[in-house]
Amino acid sequence: MEITGTELIRAAALLGAGIAMGFGAIGPGVGEGYAAGRACEGVARSPEHSGLLTRTMLVGQAVSESTGIYSLVIALLLIFFVKS
Amino acid sequence: METAEVVSALMYLGAGIAMGFGAIGAGVGEGYAAHQACGGTARQPAVASSIQRTMLIGQAMAESASIFALIVAIMLIFMVDASGATVNQGVAFVGAGIAIGFGAIGGGIGCGFPAGSACQGVARRPEGQNEITTMMLISQGVSQTPSVFSFVIALILMYGAYEGSDMVTMAAVLGAGISVGMGAIGCGIGSGYAGGDACKGVGRWPANRGAILRTMLVGQAVSQSTSIYALLVAILMVFLT
Repeated sequence: MEITGTELIRAAALLGAGIAMGFGAIGPGVGEGYAAGRACEGVARSPEHSGLLTRTMLVGQAVSESTGIYSLVIALLLIFFVKS
Repeated sequence: METAEVVSALMYLGAGIAMGFGAIGAGVGEGYAAHQACGGTARQPAVASSIQRTMLIGQAMAESASIFALIVAIMLIFMVDASGATVNQGVAFVGAGIAIGFGAIGGGIGCGFPAGSACQGVARRPEGQNEITTMMLISQGVSQTPSVFSFVIALILMYGAYEGSDMVTMAAVLGAGISVGMGAIGCGIGSGYAGGDACKGVGRWPANRGAILRTMLVGQAVSQSTSIYALLVAILMVFLT
């Protein structure tokens, strides 16, 4: 199997995209679930505040999501912009 | 060393990765459910059989992720024909193993939390068993979806046609497996966490179960988003390269 430099670069970029998105998705998933759990507990206790709780949960989750979006951006950049 | 030998070796490697990592999640999750069931039974021995039934239903859901991994491992060992396959195809088998092996971790652990909370809830309020079990099953279903994504990608990688042997395709199929497999861990655990607290809430305040279900599903949907990104990246790599 002959490996040229361009092939090596492209291969590394694709493997890197997988690693970026895969590992990058772990944290937001756990963290957002943690927030959702507490929100469920709060709604169970005082359902009249469910609107407020949902809003707070979504704001917190949006911040937690940001690292997942960075991973997605880097993965897409590696897939589509590293053509060599 | 012939190509068929290399492909067989990669196939067995994929099977080992699939089942070895795929067993982690269900083991932890089911153990957590059993732990909570034991605690509940110790407190309320009179309702031991209801607690045990809830535990077994919850554990069966947690088990399903590792059953996907078992299916992929058995398919890789017995059903895939290595003769005539290329090295690219062999690396895709390893990618399939990585996808479902790591992909099953989150679903297994995640399903354990609702099962455990449901056991505690049944111990506290045995007459609410039906609504607690319903909430448990809904949340476990959501928590299991990332493992289903991983299973789909694993099947695509196993039965896709990958000709020749070039490094770019090998990296793409491995990367797809890593992306969807690792991407499923966090979402499965996180969704399960939300489901666990929702089951706890239904156990204690059953009248609020509509609001709890709504909040849980919104929270879980956000928590699932990263596994959908991971699925998207995997699909891009499998089909566009």
